[in-house]
Amino acid sequence: MRIDARNLLDRLGKNDFAYKEFEDRFSELELWPILEALLRDPRLQAIDQAEATVAAMPEPAPTEVVETYSGESLSSLFSRYGRGPAADAPGDRRGGSQQQDVRAMLRHLSDLGSQGKI
Amino acid sequence: MPVIVTHGLKGGAGTTFTAAHIAMALSEAGADVTVLTVAKRDTMPLHFGLQPAMTLPSLFAPAEDAVLVAGIDLRSLTTAPEDNDFVPALRDLGFLETGQDKVMVIDIPSAEFAFARRVIPHASASVCVINAAPDTLALMPQVLAEASPENIAATSFVINALDETRRLSRHSSAFIRELVGARLLGRIRLDESVPEAIAMLQQLSKYAPSSAALADAKAIGTALVPALETPGRPWVARGSSPASSSSRAA
Ligand SMILES: Nc1ncnc2c1ncn2[C@@H]1O[C@H](COP(=O)(O)OP(=O)(O)OP(=O)(O)O)[C@@H](O)[C@H]1O
Ligand SMILES: [Mg+2]
Repeated sequence: MRIDARNLLDRLGKNDFAYKEFEDRFSELELWPILEALLRDPRLQAIDQAEATVAAMPEPAPTEVVETYSGESLSSLFSRYGRGPAADAPGDRRGGSQQQDVRAMLRHLSDLGSQGKI
Repeated sequence: MPVIVTHGLKGGAGTTFTAAHIAMALSEAGADVTVLTVAKRDTMPLHFGLQPAMTLPSLFAPAEDAVLVAGIDLRSLTTAPEDNDFVPALRDLGFLETGQDKVMVIDIPSAEFAFARRVIPHASASVCVINAAPDTLALMPQVLAEASPENIAATSFVINALDETRRLSRHSSAFIRELVGARLLGRIRLDESVPEAIAMLQQLSKYAPSSAALADAKAIGTALVPALETPGRPWVARGSSPASSSSRAA
């Protein structure tokens, strides 16, 4: 870290610093095609099956998670895509449920952003 | 003597860095920690402020050859990935049991994923370090398809080198969070002071005590303390309510 930055943090009495940009306007963005491709890949579902394995394990382990998270399984996330007004909003030229799913995911990311979770 | 395995999904994710700081956090929490590196090209000593020419002693070398940094015993065993007797040898040495008296952190390079697969079932925790980057995301389906459900279920994830100033980085990180859910242990921010400390031949905690990456990595190591107490099966981050999230930076 640069000495001037460190001095500033010391003066502010902060020991770290997280940059927070203004909220992204996900709805105005083109989606990232890689996310769309990944969401189509059935192999990602393996993580949900593993979730079931964890659930089947006896006696929950003690837990301390550093980061917030939604606690939702991927399948429930998938099933939610495409619902809600933005999926058929005017100006969505793409059509097709897969695109709507990704739009819904981006909307969900936007929600997380506005909740300060991104 | 529980074992914690750290491995990466893709080279350069920061697994070795994360492993070093998990070891330091566990040591600070009172555990007697051994770090085992199995990399043929090893950079672990640099995270402990050691000279680049340093070669770590073998796991089987006598105590008088030990390299100790702040009480952490640094060892190497480059033959481990090819050695089918590695897990039995660990057991003979008294590892694979629980409790804080002796803990081993094994740092596995991403290329040695077959070795990681063999060790994870015996570990008290398996920590997979990933970057919030599109090429890393692209590998996730293949990695998940290759791993056993038990190993996936036993694995906790860490996002490393997160750059919150970049939109793609934030989106990728949100994607990972949704994907791995409760098994995300946390994130470590991208921080220039990590390579700078190496260049200064100093430990990060000495070179940049206010480093964001240092605080994040320490929080992750501390979150792993309960893993030391799970007898006979891997500990898994199962999450908690968002309200209990304590170390998120303001
Ligand atoms: N949070 C961070 N901020 C900035 N730089 C980092 C961070 N974490 C790691 N690095 C740097 O990234 C590089 C790669 O890290 P590291 O050696 O830990 O990768 P690795 O995952 O162990 O790779 P491999 O799987 O090939 O062994 C190093 O130069 C390290 O200093
Ligand atoms: Mg490494």
